[in-house]
Amino acid sequence: MGKVIVITSGKGGVGKTTATANLGTGLAMLGKSVVMVDTDIGLRNLDVVLGLENRIVYDIVDAVRGNCRLKQALIKDKRLENLHLLPAAQTKDKTAVSEQQMKDLCQTLKDEFDYVIIDCPAGIEHGFKNAIAGAEEAIVVTTPEVSAVRDADRIIGLLEAAGIASPKLVINRIRVKMVKAGDMMSVEDMLDILAVDLLGIVPDDEIIVVSTNRGEPTVLDDRSRPGQAFRNIVRRINGEDVPLLALEDEVGFWGRLKNLFAR
Amino acid sequence: MAKEQWFDNISAKPTIIVQRTLRSGQNVNYDGNVVVLGDVNPGAEIVASGHVVVMGSLRGLVHAGATGEDSATVTALSLNPTQLRISSHITRPPDGSRPENSICPEIARIKEGAVVIEKYQAPK
Repeated sequence: MGKVIVITSGKGGVGKTTATANLGTGLAMLGKSVVMVDTDIGLRNLDVVLGLENRIVYDIVDAVRGNCRLKQALIKDKRLENLHLLPAAQTKDKTAVSEQQMKDLCQTLKDEFDYVIIDCPAGIEHGFKNAIAGAEEAIVVTTPEVSAVRDADRIIGLLEAAGIASPKLVINRIRVKMVKAGDMMSVEDMLDILAVDLLGIVPDDEIIVVSTNRGEPTVLDDRSRPGQAFRNIVRRINGEDVPLLALEDEVGFWGRLKNLFAR
Repeated sequence: MAKEQWFDNISAKPTIIVQRTLRSGQNVNYDGNVVVLGDVNPGAEIVASGHVVVMGSLRGLVHAGATGEDSATVTALSLNPTQLRISSHITRPPDGSRPENSICPEIARIKEGAVVIEKYQAPK
């Protein structure tokens, strides 16, 4: 029996889809069988981030409506055997799937897979309600911006009201230099307001843009710092006790040289 | 011996205890006093006809004495509301000031027609 985890944020553009792609891929790298479900019907992205866009034949709407068998809609990842994607439909809208249908879908999927990772759309309307309908646990992604934290707070409240207690927090796109200069909210500031368990911190890095555009999750790249952060988060999801990534070592020239030899 | 009436009209109103943190989008609307055992986050709202006491950080919007009671007060362990209203008075923190967690409990009340915030001290 697998776990159903929804990845949500309220605000758009904070990295839900990137987090889903990387955490799903990371869990599969640990040998778990994983399915990622894109519930952002009408604005699907997860397939693009994973580089699986051109393999879509059937989608989530076809699957829940019985236009195809669920197996037919699942796309096997091109890198990892045990990683699958259930893509969103692009030509429909959020109302094409009901909450009950999502519950049934998650129930079916969790019998088959170790982890069902649900990519939630932005907002708190129908799409959000669908995405959390079948979930048992939640990961809330936020960035060190007042607006993102405010939305995360709202989402945590809604999740609790829906019976998904104690969601875990992932802080994305943190810039150590800016935090040190007092120009960016610190991790402590955010935890002070949100008062939930911290699952991990992901540093801001241009490499994410590259990996997203290439359709290669950065978690696969050994040298990527955000990739390392995601690998740590994955191990924590898997029940290991992993210390937080030391954000302190802003790598200077000497540090880079040292890393080169240490590698 | 005549019994001393030690409480005002507001204090004698019914009181609800909210045993949770109020997050953005959540609100409490109550005809009486409100006590929150938790924080009130930005985007959360409390509207009470009586006093409001927050045993935690008050960062959201609060309206005490909402039906026109000037003697209503707002007390919090850390008083940093987005906006603070008592009766028909509306105040907000000065522009540009970064909200900082105050180190001591504070109380807001109307004195001589203005909302005044003071360090909370147990009345002697």
